[in-house]
Amino acid sequence: MLEIKNLTKKFDNKVVLNGINLNVNKGDVIGIIGPSGCGKSTLLRCINLIEIPTSGEIVLDGDNLVDNKKHNITRRKIGMVFQQFNLFNHLNVLENIILSPVALKLMSKDEAIRRATELLKKIDLEDIMYSYPNRLSGGQKQRVAIIRTLIMNPEIILFDEPTSALDPEMIGEVTNLMRKLRDNGMTMLVVSHEMNFVKSFCNRVIFLSDGIIKEDRSSKELFENPKDDKLKTFLSKIGNY
Amino acid sequence: MKKVLLIVLSIFMLTGCSSKHNELIVVTEAGFAPYEYYEGNKIVGVDIDIAKKVADYLGKKLVVKDVAFDSIISEVKTGKGDFGAAGISYTEERSKEVDFTINYIDSKQVVIVNNNSDIYNTEGINNKKIAVQLGSVADTYLTENYKDVELIREKKFLAAIEDLKDNKVDAVVMDEIPASKLITDNMRILPNELLTDSYGMIVKKGNTELLETINKVINDLKNNNEIDEFLLNHMGIKSKKESSGILGKFYDSVIYNARYKYILEGLKNTLLIALGAVLIGILLGTISAISNNIYENTGKLKILHLISKAYVTVIRGTPSTLQLMIIYYVIFRSMDINMVLVGIMAFGINSGAYVSEIIRAGISSIDKGQWEAGYALGLKYSQVMKKIILPQSIRNILPALGNEFITLVKETSIGAYIGIIELTKASDIIASRTYDYFFPLMIIALIYLVITVILSKLINVLERRLNNARN
Ligand SMILES: Nc1ncnc2c1ncn2[C@@H]1O[C@H](COP(=O)(O)OP(=O)(O)OP(=O)(O)O)[C@@H](O)[C@H]1O
Ligand SMILES: [Mg+2]
Repeated sequence: MLEIKNLTKKFDNKVVLNGINLNVNKGDVIGIIGPSGCGKSTLLRCINLIEIPTSGEIVLDGDNLVDNKKHNITRRKIGMVFQQFNLFNHLNVLENIILSPVALKLMSKDEAIRRATELLKKIDLEDIMYSYPNRLSGGQKQRVAIIRTLIMNPEIILFDEPTSALDPEMIGEVTNLMRKLRDNGMTMLVVSHEMNFVKSFCNRVIFLSDGIIKEDRSSKELFENPKDDKLKTFLSKIGNY
Repeated sequence: MKKVLLIVLSIFMLTGCSSKHNELIVVTEAGFAPYEYYEGNKIVGVDIDIAKKVADYLGKKLVVKDVAFDSIISEVKTGKGDFGAAGISYTEERSKEVDFTINYIDSKQVVIVNNNSDIYNTEGINNKKIAVQLGSVADTYLTENYKDVELIREKKFLAAIEDLKDNKVDAVVMDEIPASKLITDNMRILPNELLTDSYGMIVKKGNTELLETINKVINDLKNNNEIDEFLLNHMGIKSKKESSGILGKFYDSVIYNARYKYILEGLKNTLLIALGAVLIGILLGTISAISNNIYENTGKLKILHLISKAYVTVIRGTPSTLQLMIIYYVIFRSMDINMVLVGIMAFGINSGAYVSEIIRAGISSIDKGQWEAGYALGLKYSQVMKKIILPQSIRNILPALGNEFITLVKETSIGAYIGIIELTKASDIIASRTYDYFFPLMIIALIYLVITVILSKLINVLERRLNNARN
């Protein structure tokens, strides 16, 4: 479904990604791990073209996104959830969710409101529908951000450390929602430093280091039997995950 | 520095195309104080003051042309000048060549002596020592007709009176109006005047339109005693009323001759210019800031971006006084244009560069994540800008725009340079009448202060509202 071929990304002269090759199949839930600064966020940001790759291809359903100049159209198919939530501060929860589908005329306003309400109800957030972001807890914000992505019906959702800005007691509500998505067959790429979560949540894990993917295996195998030396050091440093 | 600028600008003016229809040319011979004389390199005097009133009335710019007295009539006859004002007395002979206005001056030259003097009539001044103002009517008259008096020529009338007080001279000859203001209890004015003279202005024969205008202006001035006042001003004399205590000074600065009207007019223009300018500034600033942002994010609008960058650089890199002068003397030089409008344009163009910066800062104060979230949802640059970034940056931009307006209210005071009658100029006009700067300056300082304090308060309220709106 999504194929990344020989992707490189340089900032000025600094090579961050140095030939990434990755095949994502529908329904894959892929964890991306690696030391800080190894380029995990950059990889996600290249996939939805917030960063423009230096070279390589990103092929989604047969289209090379890098060549296609209409980034805004292709981005509709790729959801993104940020570490800092990035809710629109001047809009309430409902307005945050319906802004894009209505602005892009993907659905009527009524339809968008109906869909948004439905989604919020499913996770018991209909009470905060008219609240503004600064009145919400971190866990609520991140769940709203996920719903804001879901209403676009994306084919794949990219998560960049979705729980690392949350208080520990709120992590569960976000991961529970992600689990529901996974169980419904959503394709996801998840960057995380929580090894326990990655291990139990993802069916596949890639280890990123030195600008390339050093390992790409099922999560069980990768954690139980790491082969790459850097991965071994990385896992031992992180310790009792 | 200012002079150098003016010279540079006048070279511009000379080379630039000039149309004369917004000018009114008065012809005079500057050497007849207090009616027309040089002060520095400027021709001033009672006639010039009146001529200025005529020009103001017609909404034109007065140009003073200094020629020999004998050429004044021919200048007017041939249309090289619009009218003549040079302390010209009516004669049959002259009235065949040009038309005379009503008299604006009935000048009486009187003799002042000390009470204990042995001079009792004008014949008594022969062989005496007499003080006059240098180059005044009295000076000319006595020099020609009283060869045997010893003349002491003082720069100011006041000095002449001082001479008399100190018994350095036997008498002073001067105009009746200042004389009556200046004499002390120890002095008296001789009953017969030494000389009477009436002056009118002259226009080309048949130019009844201008003739009637001048007559009307003269009549109005006479009714307000303003011509007497001009006369006193040019003699460096304060009218007696004006020195009588704080209340009296206040009265002179504000109430006498409805002088508060200058302040009201100034206030109106100050606010009008600041408001008009801030609106133009918002328009230009928005175009400039947005085009820069579009270019930086999408690479489009390169030309507009370059223009607006140059615009902001030039405006922020040059003094606003200079910009104002260039706009007035160079760009609008040949246009018949309302001064307030010139002010609005000049300050608006100036303000636009600062507003551009305000908007730029407002936009860049919004977290990068807001852009990214917008893009990630499939929105285009314009949609992100309109629906996400601008609505949030407005919170920072609005109060800053309010502050820009406050700055403008104060900044407009440099409009006085090019003669816009805003608050500062208004106070200057009053002070130049009363020779007392205290009240005019304090009053307008207070007005500026009140306006800016009120505006700051309003901005605070606005800021609080904007902050509460989403909290
Ligand atoms: N816009 C940019 N300009 C220059 N360098 C950048 C830019 N964005 C990222 N980098 C650099 O690229 C490298 C990879 O950054 P990236 O954020 O992708 O790392 P990461 O793996 O997500 O790290 P972390 O685990 O800390 O989030 C870092 O060295 C970072 O400094
Ligand atoms: Mg990161």
